[in-house]
Amino acid sequence: MDPAFIRNFSIIAHIDHGKSTLADRLLEATGALSQREMMEQVLDSMDLERERGITIKAHAVRLNYQAGDGQLYQLNLIDTPGHVDFSYEVSRSLQACEGALLVIDASQGVEAQTLANTYLALHHNLEIIPVINKIDLPSAEPERIREQIEQVIGLPADEAILASAKSGLGVHEVLEAIVKTVPPPKGSPDAPLRALIFDSWFDPYRGVIILCRVMEGRIRKGQKIRLWSNGKAFEVEGLGYQSPKAIPCGELSAGEVGFLHANIKTVSDARIGDTITDVENPADEPLPGFEAIKPMVFAGLYPVESSEHGLLRDALEKLRLNDSAFSFEPENSVALGFGFRCGFLGLLHLEIVQERLEREFEIDLITTAPGVRYRITRLGGEVIEVDNPTRFPDPAEIRQIEEPIIEATVITREEYLGEILKLLEEKRGEQKKFEYIGTGRVLLTYSLPLNEIVLDFYDRLKSASRGYASLDYHLAGYRVSPMVKLDVLVAGEPVDALSIIVHKDFAYERGKALIERLRKLIPRQMFEVALQAAIGNKVIARENIPAMRKNVLAKCYGGDISRKRKLLEKQKEGKRRMKRVGRVEIPQEAFLSVLRVSGDSGQ
Amino acid sequence: MAGVYLSYPFCRQKCTFCNFASGVMPASLEDGYHRALFEEVSRFGWPWIPETVYWGGGTPGNLDPEVLTSVMRLIPGKPWVEATIEVAPGGVAREKLRAWRAAGINRISFGVQSFAARELRASGRRHTAATVAEEIALAREEGIANFNIDLIAGLAFQTPRSLAESLDWVERLEPPHVSVYMFEIDTDSRLGNEISSGGARYGANQVPPEDLTAELYLTAVKRLEAMGIARYEISNFARPGFESRHNLKYWRLEPYAGFGSDAHSFDGSLRRRNVETAAEYVAAWQDRATALLEETPAKRDEERLFLGLRQMAGIRLSQAEWTRWSAPLARYFNEGLLARDGEVLRLTDRGVLLSNEVFQEFLAE
Repeated sequence: MDPAFIRNFSIIAHIDHGKSTLADRLLEATGALSQREMMEQVLDSMDLERERGITIKAHAVRLNYQAGDGQLYQLNLIDTPGHVDFSYEVSRSLQACEGALLVIDASQGVEAQTLANTYLALHHNLEIIPVINKIDLPSAEPERIREQIEQVIGLPADEAILASAKSGLGVHEVLEAIVKTVPPPKGSPDAPLRALIFDSWFDPYRGVIILCRVMEGRIRKGQKIRLWSNGKAFEVEGLGYQSPKAIPCGELSAGEVGFLHANIKTVSDARIGDTITDVENPADEPLPGFEAIKPMVFAGLYPVESSEHGLLRDALEKLRLNDSAFSFEPENSVALGFGFRCGFLGLLHLEIVQERLEREFEIDLITTAPGVRYRITRLGGEVIEVDNPTRFPDPAEIRQIEEPIIEATVITREEYLGEILKLLEEKRGEQKKFEYIGTGRVLLTYSLPLNEIVLDFYDRLKSASRGYASLDYHLAGYRVSPMVKLDVLVAGEPVDALSIIVHKDFAYERGKALIERLRKLIPRQMFEVALQAAIGNKVIARENIPAMRKNVLAKCYGGDISRKRKLLEKQKEGKRRMKRVGRVEIPQEAFLSVLRVSGDSGQ
Repeated sequence: MAGVYLSYPFCRQKCTFCNFASGVMPASLEDGYHRALFEEVSRFGWPWIPETVYWGGGTPGNLDPEVLTSVMRLIPGKPWVEATIEVAPGGVAREKLRAWRAAGINRISFGVQSFAARELRASGRRHTAATVAEEIALAREEGIANFNIDLIAGLAFQTPRSLAESLDWVERLEPPHVSVYMFEIDTDSRLGNEISSGGARYGANQVPPEDLTAELYLTAVKRLEAMGIARYEISNFARPGFESRHNLKYWRLEPYAGFGSDAHSFDGSLRRRNVETAAEYVAAWQDRATALLEETPAKRDEERLFLGLRQMAGIRLSQAEWTRWSAPLARYFNEGLLARDGEVLRLTDRGVLLSNEVFQEFLAE
């Protein structure tokens, strides 16, 4: 298609501000889907996504739109994930677009994550079209929101579209604005091929499916392509676009968005952000912005039933087919038996994997406290990387420990600054930049230990700013830090799966909080149980769980034996789901309790 | 030897701690219930002659004595070794006692629960300690001197002092038999539900914590033993020779036939259970002339332990059993919850309060 009639755009919106509904309406209005098919919102396809109200995988849908000027346009709607764990994916999706709809709830107004993604979009030089949604609600205040867009975001909003995605109001205006405001793609179809991969997943029949935006040149069936980052060559077996159903086509040319498959066996070969070029006639250089994404957060995953170890391994292998950001290797724990050390992009990513394992594969899991990968130099000069506290060498053998540092960008409003600065200080942050960006808005750049982010930072940030702070971060090297291994002893026995690595200044406080938490989570046993937090041989915190006083059925009509049996069976089943460490039964949740030790919960 | 259980789930009021399928129901339902119960008993083909009869509830003391008499006429074996009726204090009168006695009743179980006015009020009970004393005297006059007093440890507002007050009453009334239950927080009772949801009705915020309930129970055990009323089962206490013959059948796996709603039966190999509520019972009887809800084969080898061990005297294990359960036995001897005297296995005093922990081990996987 002539690029002059192509428009590539995405939708930026806060959760619940109506992104999915608006997307549905656009599909409906352009005839991509019938009303009946609209029963369900189509863009968020996984159950999990729908429940959490976030989109995990980007999708791209082609809409054919007959515009007011009489021309037929190809509109490509590129969906983006909406969480800090996936900010790299977001930025690659935005790179595939020339414009974005900024959807803002007419009562709620601008939220922080929206702001962050808007800045990301502006950074990619996208044309922004503000859409004020839900204007038919009684609480709607479109004029106030219009002002807010101008003041808070700094975008002209006099032409903001007033819409109600629910009723369909304003949808036509949105489509016209896309055609008029979003610039057509620039690249030439005759230049050497350069296509941007912005998503990929594994399909059991066709191998890896790549979603890409052709920036320059063309892709045809049978063409030999090369992936820039790894140099591997493949032959295109098929290509097409989503409308939203997959529709095969013979060619994708500059400006177009679509999918291809080329008998690629693993998603880790088709990395997001990578450039596809032609084997015969390669481009001179790749598209900018590619980064190999690596897991940053590590946790142990163990089956509750040790017999499910093989099942867990198979499930992890299946998930890995579709998720190259996730890694795993076998590990074992004295307390938990055989399991896997898994690497994730962040906590949300961890939770998603955990939920999918439990839901789709029906495996009961114990997850140990998430941590990061440390670089440890032994006395002899040997450098090792350790992401599992149980593999931490004896402190006497350590010359230095380096921890991963991130550069975090936080955008917020002035009134929340105090709380946020306090939080950043508490998390051992170092200020790099402090910038006012327009009325009442501040952009903070901090260098922070990743270790401090993985626990509850994002949640604390949200509550410190009432949701009005965005967070974006990337790995920025290592820093020597006095980290120590904090062990937990239950009834005198160290429980390896509860060990954590912590900055020595926080060890006492964290140890105390952790023990306190465990005291509430571990049920009373038949004897008193001592809980201790220790660094080496030094106990820094201690609590006791008093012995269970009674567990007896001393009230019921004698003849009902089945009721007595059921009660006993239920209690026995409850114990079976716990892990027995020494003489003590420890429930699953205890192993994750380390997660929730500071601040106000990490829901 | 075998026993008969008759269920009468109707009450004048529903006690706040009660988690049974009993309570206040329409009078019309009661008539249907009488008919169904009469029919169920009359259709039973007696494979044995029962030695005990037990009217449980609900409040069978409120049952029309004529209905009671007509049902009991259907049961062979009169005069029974033990024939008990459960009553709520305030519901006993001379004419009733005479009718009961004529029907074959020779034992009364008084659902006293407490003698302390505040605890009674919070539980939704209307009697006073004096009522109990009067009715016991009346029963004795009418020739029913064998009786039980039910007490609950852990009622709202109960303190060691108020429990002592109740036990003083027990001492004065000299019952041959006492039962002491422990209040359990579950959402099947109004009180338990209120506690679980953090409310304050029924004195929910005045219910003793679990540890105190255990203490209160132990206090009662001690006091009763000092009175010569010894614990022979986790919740049951008696003067020598006055143990409830009927209730022992449950722990000893002897057969019993249960009639009425939520009644259970055991014929030595099968366990049967009737539908739970009175309404279901009446309807089931009208529709299909049976009230059977489910029937499951008993697992005698397991039940022997988790039921038998409820008796303080313990049970005699076979050589095969000592071997089969050797691992959990060793563990609990070690924890001091079980004791062995020759071939007899029994719970220790500590083991009684933690008996569910022990019993779980005697369920096969």
